Amino acid sequence: MATLHLVSHSPFTDSRLASCLRLLDSDDALLLMGDAVYALCNGTSFREELESLAASISVFALTEDLQARDLTQTLPIRVKSIGYPEFVKLSCHYLRINSWL
Amino acid sequence: MKSLLVEGKLIQLDPEGYLQSLDDWSESIASALAQGEGLILQPEHWEILLLLREFYQEFQLSPATRPLVKYVALKLGTDKGNSLHLNRLFKGTPAKLAAKLAGLPKPSNCL
Amino acid sequence: MARSMLIITRHSPWSGTSAREALDVVLAGGAFELPLGLLFLDDGVFQLISPQHPSSIQQKDLTANLQALSLFGIDELYASNRSLAERGIAADSLSLPVKIMQDDELTALIKRYDHVITI
Repeated sequence: MATLHLVSHSPFTDSRLASCLRLLDSDDALLLMGDAVYALCNGTSFREELESLAASISVFALTEDLQARDLTQTLPIRVKSIGYPEFVKLSCHYLRINSWL
Repeated sequence: MKSLLVEGKLIQLDPEGYLQSLDDWSESIASALAQGEGLILQPEHWEILLLLREFYQEFQLSPATRPLVKYVALKLGTDKGNSLHLNRLFKGTPAKLAAKLAGLPKPSNCL
Repeated sequence: MARSMLIITRHSPWSGTSAREALDVVLAGGAFELPLGLLFLDDGVFQLISPQHPSSIQQKDLTANLQALSLFGIDELYASNRSLAERGIAADSLSLPVKIMQDDELTALIKRYDHVITI
């Protein structure tokens, strides 16, 4: 009964990601896109928090948004970089999608 | 711009015939609007129109059918707060037509 | 059977149109008799403060609109305890009868609905 959470706003200007992280369930998944991928910058508390999430929570980031921001080299091991076709597959796989608009 | 001439005063209407301004409303305007809809207002119409204006004062929006029915039932009892009665009074579209005659904006949640 | 929906509203009444858009989704869903819940999260809890004085900035009164929720059949109302506490808002001062929930209760709440929309 898991939820896929989509977050696309920078965690440094806005509380969407912080709130989302608090409400994640152990079998949920999180897809970072747009400016939300800045959460993966080295040395930030958000990166640390994402790395320490329970292993049962899948964390994805959209490849194109990582590339645009030059973040592909430093991706944490537990974060999977995915393209749009996989995004579509993920959307079908989860029971509900919570877009943090 | 649509308009309506009542007692020598020109009242502005929106493209669908709703009053532009809530404050323009008067009983003679309601009667004129009703006439345009082929309706002659009876006491049983008036009590609903006045209630709708109270609803708008309280909630600042025009109700869709379901909340309208509930509100009328709450204030006037279920004899009047039921869709059969309200449909009969307002040609089957009570939320839209009664809002128009009461001078309220078109209910936005009535699709 | 109609699919249930939880709307999470997380903006103050005064930051653009988000709070009103969330309410419009809820009222439209209520008019269709969908089983709906409404959760006030983050700055969304500022919508629950009463009174507010929207006319001083030429805006419409969202608080008045919110009072119509029960007439639209929306009785499942929730607020985040953390969001209220962070903003110094007392639970007994709210303009709606919301159920106040902890983070783990909110996680479980989301799972009770078929759809979730966060605005």
